[in-house]
Amino acid sequence: MTKQLYSALFLLLCITLISDSGAASEKSVLDEINAAEDRFDSRAVPLFKQVTDERVLAHEEYQGGPFWVLARKSQIERYKCSSCHTDKSMTAQQGRELTHGNVILEHGDEGQGLLCIDCHHPQERDFLEDKKGRKIDFDHSYQLCGQCHFRQKRDWLGGAHGKRALNWAGERTVYNCTTCHDPHSPRFKKRFPATYSVELD
Amino acid sequence: MSVKKDDHEPIRTDALLEKKSSRRTFLKGLSIGAAAGSAALTAGCIGSVEAATPEELKLRWQEFFKKNYRLMSQEEKDGTVARLERLAKMRDNIDLQMGSYPPLDGVLYGYAFNITRCEGFMECVTACVKENNLDRKTNTQYIRIFEMEPGKLDPSTGDGRYYHEVPVENKFYMGTQCFHCEKAPCTKACPTRATWKEPDGIVVVDYDWCIGCRYCQAACPYYGRRFNWGKPEIPRDEITVRQHYLGNRIRPKGKMEKCTFCIQRTRKGRLPACVEACPTGARVFGNLLDPESEIRYVLKHKKVFRMKEELGTDPKFWYFID
Repeated sequence: MTKQLYSALFLLLCITLISDSGAASEKSVLDEINAAEDRFDSRAVPLFKQVTDERVLAHEEYQGGPFWVLARKSQIERYKCSSCHTDKSMTAQQGRELTHGNVILEHGDEGQGLLCIDCHHPQERDFLEDKKGRKIDFDHSYQLCGQCHFRQKRDWLGGAHGKRALNWAGERTVYNCTTCHDPHSPRFKKRFPATYSVELD
Repeated sequence: MSVKKDDHEPIRTDALLEKKSSRRTFLKGLSIGAAAGSAALTAGCIGSVEAATPEELKLRWQEFFKKNYRLMSQEEKDGTVARLERLAKMRDNIDLQMGSYPPLDGVLYGYAFNITRCEGFMECVTACVKENNLDRKTNTQYIRIFEMEPGKLDPSTGDGRYYHEVPVENKFYMGTQCFHCEKAPCTKACPTRATWKEPDGIVVVDYDWCIGCRYCQAACPYYGRRFNWGKPEIPRDEITVRQHYLGNRIRPKGKMEKCTFCIQRTRKGRLPACVEACPTGARVFGNLLDPESEIRYVLKHKKVFRMKEELGTDPKFWYFID
């Protein structure tokens, strides 16, 4: 009688143990992710397309390593600025063509928006200037933007703001601030969506 | 004998049985019957047998009797890929570059979607349609963008069919697609094991093993799967020729399909088409097992949530806010 009772108890114990171990194996993908701490060499991944856009090595670090940003100077229509901004005199006719009448400044709060020389270097026109008076290259405009938009810059450095160019693997190349945002009116314009959706079946 | 003069005439088996036949006529009838049978097998969605060359018939025959992708050796995978390329060349004169490359070691793909940044431009949707050779006739789309009221986080409360200038003030936008669940309910529902989770976390479909029963579609709580009601129609010059067997190759009629995280791109280090197309940088993609990846940064430093997390499907797709 007691023997039967013991064996029944033993069986019960076994069942509990098995079901317990079953529950323990129900791991979430988050456990797997958090357990993965070894460095992954994403540069070893064979790529079928390399970033061909012009890029420069950033003056910042990403998770302890260097990374690239897409270059900007080659994208600016009238760069180099100093080819026009000289001491030479010009006629009023030339002035009408050459001034930046097409630039619409919508940066900063209404009424107290930014002016040209808030970002552009007042003397050396081929450069930008931050509030500490440092000269900043157009290719590294993130250094300038980041002085006000420091949260966005922090996210951009980490990878939560902005985007990588072309590949998730390989050397990290990211979009510059001004690749996406027009610095003179940085908010994206309203427009129609690229397509529409139909009802699901 | 009636069967003798015309191959296309239906064979009347009862007449054959009644007739007293010699060995010769019996064998003749048998071979014609076999030919008719193979025609019925292969004709399914590809077209008539009459127009097919012997080579095409042979390829179709081999295609019909191939194994499930997961049971194939690399040699057999290369074989089927070569056959599919040849068939596309013969039928439609298209030069495909199909691959069957395996998952990368130490990689588990994950995705994050920034609901603060998305402004509903839907460029991801058009990029996806083009990259994945989706049917233009029925307007099949893997991605849906919902226009949402503030405070709501369930897309079923949003408007998935908006068409007006975006972004609208005091609305936000939320995208859905296949979430590539670690415990994917769709793969359990499949009666033919035609859908499964690859070692790199991508849930894929073997389109040639799918019987089109749509159980997986019913099992998916995220509306992540699509069905081909007809033969997909794609303008010739818009076909993406770089394809993967489990990815964007053109699905036949009557098969299930879904987002594959652009398997043909991501296994070669490239970003999915939607991420590359996003004009606002709302989409983050990367390797979850790489502590230095962007996706890991988002999971660590941002407020994230997953849709219907309480179902225990463990999706590898997170939403986050700035």
